[in-house]
Amino acid sequence: MINIPCPFCGPRNESEFSFGGPVKPDRPDPNSVTDEQWVEYLTTVPNPLGAVQERWWHVRGCGTWLTIWRDTRTHDIVKGPNDA
Amino acid sequence: MSYDVTTDRLPTFAIFDFKGTRKTLEKWTKFTLPDAPNRFIVNTGVILCHIGPDHWLLRAPLDREETLESQLKPTNAPADISIVRISDTQTFFSITGPNAAEVISIGCPMDLHETVFPQNSVSFSEFFTVKALIMRIPLGFEVAVEQSYANMIADYLDRATA
Repeated sequence: MINIPCPFCGPRNESEFSFGGPVKPDRPDPNSVTDEQWVEYLTTVPNPLGAVQERWWHVRGCGTWLTIWRDTRTHDIVKGPNDA
Repeated sequence: MSYDVTTDRLPTFAIFDFKGTRKTLEKWTKFTLPDAPNRFIVNTGVILCHIGPDHWLLRAPLDREETLESQLKPTNAPADISIVRISDTQTFFSITGPNAAEVISIGCPMDLHETVFPQNSVSFSEFFTVKALIMRIPLGFEVAVEQSYANMIADYLDRATA
């Protein structure tokens, strides 16, 4: 079970949240990328062994959408590469 | 061994859901809204709960519903705020007594310690898997769930405290 830090409510149990999926890269212009790159964007879900950036919805709480970095090996919430 | 608590299903309250910026809501409703997240204040007999970003709930006795409706004028509110009467959507239970926190903890994952969830705290969480509004009151807690789950929650509370 993960204790997810909600910016409004503070740390809360994972069961109060709904998983919103990994944060995907910005949507490329389909006319300026190759078919291979476009299919890659549409069909490949980020699934690294290590830190992954994810969206979570505090659906049984305050309703906030938040973004965290989670280590897929340990389920620990970790600092992202650009976090201070 | 049973818990030393008293559980009651409370009568229906007048409840209004406020969404929008604090400044506009306070100007329109003439109520001072609580500033701190997940805290409530009591103001002229009504309870105002800060339950989310730009989101508050007003609770009052049911006999004040019509007066509040005419005072709040939901249908005439500015476009950047929302005021919705949701009185009949929520059923409140009170769980009071020395073991109230233990009973709430059976169905709620939130940290209920006084240092984390002190007096005048209110928050949405879950209670027996149902989204619920949890309020700390002087002798225990009040829990509000969607009214369609009320009989189920009453049954769970009876079993938990038997």
